[in-house]
Amino acid sequence: MTDNNEQRRRNASRTSGSTTATGLLKVVSPDVKYEADFIYASYPYRTVNAVVQEDGDVRAEPVERLYHFRTAVRPRKLGLMQVGWGGNNGTTVTAAVVANQQNITWETRAQQHLPNYNGSLTQASTMRVGFDAQGRDIFVPMKSVLPMVEPNDIVLGGWDISGCNLADAMDKAKVLEPDLRSKLRPFMEDMVPLRAAFDQQFIAKNQQPRATNILSTSDKGEQLEQLRKDIRNFKSTKELEYVVIIWTGNSERYATEITGVNDTASNLMTAIKESHQEVSPSTLYCVAAILEGCPYVNGSPQNTFVPGVVELARERNVMICGDDFKSGQTKMKSVLVDYLIGCGFKIKTMVTYNHLGNNDMYQLTDEVMWKPKSASKSRVVEDIVDSNGVLYKGNEDSIDHIVVVKYVPFLGDSKRDVSEYTSEGFMDGHYTTIMHNECLDSALCAPLILDLAIFVELFSRVQYAVEEGDAGLRKDKYSGMETALSVLGFYMKIPRVPPGEPIVSALGRQKACIENLLRALVGLPPENNLLLERKCPF
Amino acid sequence: MVFVKSFAVNGSHVRRTDQVLEVDFPYMQTSVEMEPKSTEAVAVLVKQMYTFRTQLKVARLGVMLVGWGGNNGSTLTGALISNKRQISWNTAKGPRAPNLFGSVVMSSTVRVGANSAGEDVFAPMHELLPMVHPDEIVLGGWDINRANLAHAMQRAKVFDYDLQRRLIPHMESLAPLPSVYYPDFIASNQEQRADNVLPGDNKTEHLNIIRQNIREFKRDKNVDQVIVLWTATTERFSEVVPGINDTAENLLDAINASEEEISPSTLFAVASILEGAPYINGSPQNTFVPGCIQLAERKGVFIAGDDFKSGQTKFKSVMIDFLVNAGIKPTAIVSYNHLGNNDGHNLSAPSQFRSKEISKSNVVDDMVKSNRILFRDDEHPDHIVVIKYVPTVADSKRAMDEYTSEIFMGGTNTVITHNTCEDSLLAAPLILDLVILCELFCRITYKTSSTDGFMPFHHVLSFLGYMLKAPLVPSGTPVVNALFKQRACIENVLRVCSGLPVEDDLRLEHHVHSVDMRNRSESNCNIVKNVCRRDHEEFYANGSLANGNGSVTSSRSRTRPGDSKPKV
Repeated sequence: MTDNNEQRRRNASRTSGSTTATGLLKVVSPDVKYEADFIYASYPYRTVNAVVQEDGDVRAEPVERLYHFRTAVRPRKLGLMQVGWGGNNGTTVTAAVVANQQNITWETRAQQHLPNYNGSLTQASTMRVGFDAQGRDIFVPMKSVLPMVEPNDIVLGGWDISGCNLADAMDKAKVLEPDLRSKLRPFMEDMVPLRAAFDQQFIAKNQQPRATNILSTSDKGEQLEQLRKDIRNFKSTKELEYVVIIWTGNSERYATEITGVNDTASNLMTAIKESHQEVSPSTLYCVAAILEGCPYVNGSPQNTFVPGVVELARERNVMICGDDFKSGQTKMKSVLVDYLIGCGFKIKTMVTYNHLGNNDMYQLTDEVMWKPKSASKSRVVEDIVDSNGVLYKGNEDSIDHIVVVKYVPFLGDSKRDVSEYTSEGFMDGHYTTIMHNECLDSALCAPLILDLAIFVELFSRVQYAVEEGDAGLRKDKYSGMETALSVLGFYMKIPRVPPGEPIVSALGRQKACIENLLRALVGLPPENNLLLERKCPF
Repeated sequence: MVFVKSFAVNGSHVRRTDQVLEVDFPYMQTSVEMEPKSTEAVAVLVKQMYTFRTQLKVARLGVMLVGWGGNNGSTLTGALISNKRQISWNTAKGPRAPNLFGSVVMSSTVRVGANSAGEDVFAPMHELLPMVHPDEIVLGGWDINRANLAHAMQRAKVFDYDLQRRLIPHMESLAPLPSVYYPDFIASNQEQRADNVLPGDNKTEHLNIIRQNIREFKRDKNVDQVIVLWTATTERFSEVVPGINDTAENLLDAINASEEEISPSTLFAVASILEGAPYINGSPQNTFVPGCIQLAERKGVFIAGDDFKSGQTKFKSVMIDFLVNAGIKPTAIVSYNHLGNNDGHNLSAPSQFRSKEISKSNVVDDMVKSNRILFRDDEHPDHIVVIKYVPTVADSKRAMDEYTSEIFMGGTNTVITHNTCEDSLLAAPLILDLVILCELFCRITYKTSSTDGFMPFHHVLSFLGYMLKAPLVPSGTPVVNALFKQRACIENVLRVCSGLPVEDDLRLEHHVHSVDMRNRSESNCNIVKNVCRRDHEEFYANGSLANGNGSVTSSRSRTRPGDSKPKV
């Protein structure tokens, strides 16, 4: 039915096509300077102050500021400690890194498979640089724009409430093919998670049987000290220069935010010493990480980052990033909603069902644990809806948004997402989209974890200074990036942002943000998709 | 978030008179050199200063549709009348008011900037520059069927009965001009419709009549600018034959000689170009044979094509872009369509389907080629497109797609979608977008240090790719099919011409540092640090690292995560 190869060839001769360069990218421009230790780039950032007049009109005043970026060239030897290392995500990340390091191939009934990092932005996506002399579009892998840690060089470790070694845990996860698992077993048998901080009241009761590998003390001050010691040990025994901690454990319930307990850094430290019951295990891990100078990423929806934690991160100048990995249905939703509203369709209903059978889902059957998840899944479209006052007029004019999650053990890690979107189109036309999306939950999530570790390490090497044209200001001393790493919102269902920053949920914009920041760091202009040299030749 | 109705841009790069708006824009051109023996790419940046000049006076616009009596033509006509006269109608679910949803120009918004409270400010896209309002558009056109527009609308079965009833008095008097009908180019099942055709087979006479139609329309309706747009059924591909349609002269000679391979659509395009009216091709056939493109270049008339991207393909150009951009490898794309309108009937003939199949199947090529990590040079996903004619569903098009992708470590991601919508309700707002933007682009010229004064955009108007399945591009230019990139292109060209900076989504003031830049106007470094500290204190006082900013237009954004109560 479709033999379009001929047409494709014809088409290819008419247009100029594109190609991907595989090596490192080097930018030649007065705005960028490559030195042995640093890449220096200056970037004129243009933004707009919008002055709203009384009659509703707006005076837009473009402002230009010159940013000077300085990126340390050498990636450091990176360790990644996962909280929940023995879970499906943790074992899948580990298996992938080992399989890629050892170049382990495996057979399935279909074919022989090679290990890969598909699904990872840094490892498997590309970005456009410009035209070459033949007029071809040149794309480069994202990882070739700046030196980044290679995933194969990441040293893995972490904690788990289950004492299973990583080989057994991988078998239990039922994510990877048996042939691959048997080849990986010798490499993973000796990996055993550290004893975890455990507090029964923060996770579902049905997790109790798994909790065989927990710290012997229930004193939170002592637990904190032990976790800090674990991080220090890991860093020194593995001879690491930089460690990132990522929570990929189960969803906890929300911690209650209480004045005097977790509202400031010092109150929080006191509350930990006093083993206050509203200090969650995840907050303990996070505080341990911050005190050890290690960035902390929260891959689940709970409020690990209580105000006291945020303050502590700022005081210590340690990066934090959250909340809740955006890997499946919500990721798709943040594409579709952006697409539909961006086209001028008014979404009226979004009814989204999920079912799966892994342990994360098992624990979400507990109503209290479900609450944070449900909140993070529900809020993802708000900013996109709010941005269109043509379609949505006022508060009552909203979307019926339903999220259902069900536990179906038979399916294991294979997640099914069934969604229906109904939109009002032109002249009351109804546009209905029904979607069935199936994937291994951990295969979606694992590449995100690697990306996060790689990007956090990269952004910790970035410093900036600002010069403002008119006022002639100059901030001579470089300083590090904002500690709440909202630039990684692409990976997060509810991106944690610095105070006063609007949330952006649209996936395309989040990707553009990461890509354009990388471009700025090497003096490339932002991708504006204009291709003016062809449309307005000079 | 704040939503505003209109705005004006101030700045030293913007000059405004009563007639024109001039904006200086530094464009960074990036040229890439690949060392022959190395895989390393070297990017060389050159700054090119552009000045864009926009004539502010909007032309009185007339749009002539080829296939005016078809579903798209009658739907667009009914919608414009209903909007202009504010005709509401009753449905089983209650009264409905007319709208322009689905039009990216009229119903989507762009971010202008941030106000002093740090909230994002959005405005409708049509406020970026003066544009024709749909109420002001004058419609006309041709059809091979003589039904008046009221009858055509009823036949289309798109609008609710009550709306049809209310529109009939306004549409009865509208009748399409006789059209060009060469049976060889469209399916034989269209023959029974062809009762309003230009007599004879002399193509020069036909050309002259169409040209005269355009001139008379312009004069009678008192319009400044005419755009001709093909929204008729799909033709078969024309053979590109040297000596016939390869150059502008040969093409004009071939029309004189009534050569067989001159299709009706090429005839309309040539007539339109010779009358100085931009021509837009909303179907997949190769109207724009090389001679036709050359003619447009010589006459300095815009052409744009091919094939409206309204439904399945539009969705596909979102999905594949999303997947490939996320580092996921689509390996099989299987797309089934069924519909029961006349376009579907025409497409049940093999050679017409072939045209459609080609425009539908190329849509993923650029995205696949852009990622050589996932795809080898010779590798391409399996891509199948099937279209079936099912009269019962009429204009209500169903698209069923299965996307199978390889993800991390041999994992498979399977996405199945089912899309239902009235075909014409998807296409009609695209027609509006095409003509509104095309009229605007006729008023924009640009200048660089090396151009000879102000020049119009390239005659192949590839800015309009967002609305088209197989965008026609200037020769030697890569095709971009990814929908978000295409939308960014339109948004950014409008932003640039209005004096706004391009949208880079960077928000450096937030992502890179928490210093509130807006308070810095008369400050120095120390004050900046104080502001920074004050910021922190404020935020400690507020008790939480807010999950986003408050919202002016909606209380929903103020919801804290714990408060949100999803309905389960």
